[in-house]
Amino acid sequence: MGSTVRSALIKICEFLLTALLVSFFTFVVFSIIPGDTARVMLGPNASEEQVQALREELGLDAPLATRYISWLGDAAKGDFGKSISFGQPVGELIASRLPVTLGMSLIALIFVLVISFPMAAFCSRNPGDLTDKTLSTAGHILFAIPPFALSMMLILLFSKCFHIFAAGRYTAPSANFGAYLVSLLLPSFCIALPKIAMTFKFLRASMIEYSRGDFVRTAKSHGLSDLRIMLRHIIPNSAVSSVTVISLVLSDILGGSLIVEQVFNLPGLGRLLLSAISRRDFPLLSGIVFYLAMITVLLYFLSDVISAMIDPRIRDGRAST
Amino acid sequence: MHNSSWKKILAGALTLALSFSAASCTQNNQGEGGEVYGGEAVVGITQEPMIFDPHTVEAAGDKEILFNVYEGLYKYDSTGTLNPCLATDVVISDDASQYTFTIREGVTFHDGSELDAGDVVYSLNRAAELMPELSFIENVTDNGDNTVTVTLATPNSEMLSYFTTAIIPEDSGDTIGETRIGTGPFVFTSYEAGIGIVLTRNENYWNPELPYLDQVTFKICADMDSGFLELQSGAIDIFPYLTTDKTAQLDPSQFDVLELGSNMVQGLFLNNAVAPFDDVRVRQAMNYAIDRDEIVSLIMDGAGLPLTTAMSPVMGEAYDTSLDGTYNQDIEQAQALLAEAGYADGFDMTITVPSNYLVHVNTAVALADQLSAVGINATIEQVDWATWLDRVYAGRDYESTVICLTSDYAPYDVINRYISTGDNNFINYSNPNVDEIITNLPLTLDEGERISMYRELLGYMTEDAASVYIQDPYSICAVNNRLTGYELYPMYVQDMSTVRLATAE
Amino acid sequence: MNPSANSKKYLIIGTALIAIVIAFFLIGLVWTPYGINSTDSASKFMAPCAEHIFGTDNLGRDVFSRCLAAARYTLLVSFAGVAVALALGTITGLLAGYFGGLLDKVIMVLSNSVMCFPGILLALVAVAVFGPSLYNVIWALGLVFAPTFARVYRSSTIELLGRDYILSAKVMKVNPIRIMFVHILPNLMSQILPAVIIGLANMTLFESGMSYLGLGVQPPAASYGKMLADAQSYMVTAPWLIIFPTLMLVCYILGLYFISEWVRTSMRGGSK
Repeated sequence: MGSTVRSALIKICEFLLTALLVSFFTFVVFSIIPGDTARVMLGPNASEEQVQALREELGLDAPLATRYISWLGDAAKGDFGKSISFGQPVGELIASRLPVTLGMSLIALIFVLVISFPMAAFCSRNPGDLTDKTLSTAGHILFAIPPFALSMMLILLFSKCFHIFAAGRYTAPSANFGAYLVSLLLPSFCIALPKIAMTFKFLRASMIEYSRGDFVRTAKSHGLSDLRIMLRHIIPNSAVSSVTVISLVLSDILGGSLIVEQVFNLPGLGRLLLSAISRRDFPLLSGIVFYLAMITVLLYFLSDVISAMIDPRIRDGRAST
Repeated sequence: MHNSSWKKILAGALTLALSFSAASCTQNNQGEGGEVYGGEAVVGITQEPMIFDPHTVEAAGDKEILFNVYEGLYKYDSTGTLNPCLATDVVISDDASQYTFTIREGVTFHDGSELDAGDVVYSLNRAAELMPELSFIENVTDNGDNTVTVTLATPNSEMLSYFTTAIIPEDSGDTIGETRIGTGPFVFTSYEAGIGIVLTRNENYWNPELPYLDQVTFKICADMDSGFLELQSGAIDIFPYLTTDKTAQLDPSQFDVLELGSNMVQGLFLNNAVAPFDDVRVRQAMNYAIDRDEIVSLIMDGAGLPLTTAMSPVMGEAYDTSLDGTYNQDIEQAQALLAEAGYADGFDMTITVPSNYLVHVNTAVALADQLSAVGINATIEQVDWATWLDRVYAGRDYESTVICLTSDYAPYDVINRYISTGDNNFINYSNPNVDEIITNLPLTLDEGERISMYRELLGYMTEDAASVYIQDPYSICAVNNRLTGYELYPMYVQDMSTVRLATAE
Repeated sequence: MNPSANSKKYLIIGTALIAIVIAFFLIGLVWTPYGINSTDSASKFMAPCAEHIFGTDNLGRDVFSRCLAAARYTLLVSFAGVAVALALGTITGLLAGYFGGLLDKVIMVLSNSVMCFPGILLALVAVAVFGPSLYNVIWALGLVFAPTFARVYRSSTIELLGRDYILSAKVMKVNPIRIMFVHILPNLMSQILPAVIIGLANMTLFESGMSYLGLGVQPPAASYGKMLADAQSYMVTAPWLIIFPTLMLVCYILGLYFISEWVRTSMRGGSK
């Protein structure tokens, strides 16, 4: 019991350290790259005095190091400050973009699970037959198409040929939840496709392995039906072992959604991140980077914990990240 | 005098009333001339709006929206003519040192308070303090008879265009960026970062015939491509700053496409302080080496006006048409000039371009290709916009760059950046004759004399080949034909007041 | 089903696909039908035809010539990037896995931080400090991808540490560096190869994503990824601008992928 608490404490320390490092990287990056918020906000026709005046008004005249340290102090208290260029609290800005990014990630994950499990189960029954070969090859090819090339082709197909999808028609969930889901379907699918291929490949291999295992043979000799064996034994077993893969897929999905929302013109976190960079908005950027880091670390952490629970080798070794 | 807490309550009540009326007003009314009143329009924009204080706003993308919210004593129309707006007329004293404006009566701000001379005095003083281009204002006095007299520090008869600056309620300066209260045809209702701006009809606009629409949304698109898809899908009605290859894809039965010279100056700007561009022969050679018509048709599908000098012909009389064609492509001449300057075998150069402007990147690619014919080996270096502003524009640490210069619709604003001591003279151009003209122009009262001075100045700049001027790109706008009445301005303006539904919906 | 016949098929298809890309690369070095960067307003947006078999782009440049020339940048970025990432990842991953303890903790926290950090920012720094050139971006990409390899190496090393031959090597006080590079590293090939292949593919994609921001290959030069990013504006009117670079990329990635399958299956066969 005591060791659990201790390892949890270590995890939390590691997490805080990671967060601190990430924010320190952001600070270093910002002190290196040229450009400043006031100049970007005022544009080229503004005079030097105007830029200087705005700089003072925004509190940008203090050195970045000073601003960073005070930001860190506030962040430790849970206050990420106000975005310089938007003039809104960073937390609010991030929260306003979450429905897109998280919604897309979740829908993509559902696509991945709902499609890759049955596909893998289907293929693993008779590995090497025609359906298996066809689906496996399709999987390989899907995996090889760059997500944004895929997005472009799908936009082309759906909006031009079928007229059932319009890019950029995003509806906020508060306005119309149904329309919100519909507007995220195609982008989510674009993120999901390569990941479906990846998960499918993994699941197929692990299901084939399990179906050759002793317990399946025993179950068969007890006269259990194939379907029952599949549902009761093979799928749950491979699901457990696929936790690591799925947690990796999930963090990939999060990264992928940042690119795809750009192609589909959706107001998500990725675009907020890019505008924070292009406006040299330090508090906003730090906030977003911190937030994304938190999610990523959390995912890795979960996958480590779960695989440690399953795999005795890692559990008895140094199960830490 | 206004009371600010009252104003807030009033503003709140007004917004509430407006949003209520916008929601309930589904039926379109017809004006006397048969024009349809009511309805909504969505305009696509590709830049995130940033500043809503009319006296500190600088970005063209912000100004063009605020044109609908704030108004000045005078206001441009789509032909570039100045018309009385919040003033009904102006009297300029004989020595051009005093401008006396008569304030229009019966104008109310969006918060319901009435416009008076006090508001005008306050606004002009505030603007003079915050806007360097208005620092010529020495003092503003309320004459008590609903007129206001502005005294200039130095006599200047050409300053009327600067009185388009916004008039805001007295003492509202500290909050104007949030309250956004003006007198314009539309009321600023909401702004959501990354999403857009909503303007609603000003029911008490001083011109009772305008505006037509109940609501206008400026919707932020990630870039032109995604915005264009939204235009086609009908999510956006009006999309300015399109390119011809885009408009060629539009269904002519569904969209109207408008084109106009935009008073912008695109060029390959050369840092005159850096070798080899400090040699006038090199700059001239580069001017001869390129084919402007080819670039315009390559990059713009012909939708641009080739330029030989620093000013666009859309500026009217100040432009000297005799300069046209000075630098028509002449490879031999270019090679001769290069040889004379000691670069017979050409040289290596870097073009630094802001990566967010595809047009400039493509222009740089075309220029590099053309310059290679005379042995000039140009490497392209893309930087992001903030870096460009910092390093190239403010820092002047570059060799050459492709960019579009924008200015107010006033010839003086186009050329005053070339004074050798100028803050914005990022090409480090220096010519004593030009300096003298720029200094004397505001002091010259005679209109004809001023025009000849502009022409003389352009002559010097062309001879010096200050940079490689390329084109004034047409401003191209597509309008869904469910709307009518949209007008293109030769400046950065999206005037929504005249836009209306083509037929009642 | 004979597994070795199946894996041979992978090898044949994979080699054939990669051969196409290599052929493009080699031909592009010595010959292109048109100038790679010669623009021409008279031949903009020509659909594939006899003169321009892959069509022309928005500046009238021949897409086939550009596809020939782009192979070198795509190959360079992906291979050099993976090489950097692999070198960094191998060293840190082996060290972390072998020694464990505090070193492991430090390396993993560092690599987690890098993984959480937006790669685009890192590339921006590289470009701001050293100027926007391909080589700087390769360093940045290498750094971004290094933690992925480090993680694979680390966990596989931990797994191998329990094996008898490693334990006996340890008992015999063999130099740890020798154990790492002679005993452990060769045994990790089967885990690392798929990671390398995926790394090559991801590198290519990441590079094309960065060209949105003007990082990576500088115009007028092009990689397949950059050609795709540039073509986005014209996808409706000139789909060939998307199709051909995508096909080249698919050839490249799929080819690598099949070869890695072959390596994996034949390795497994060999160990049995």
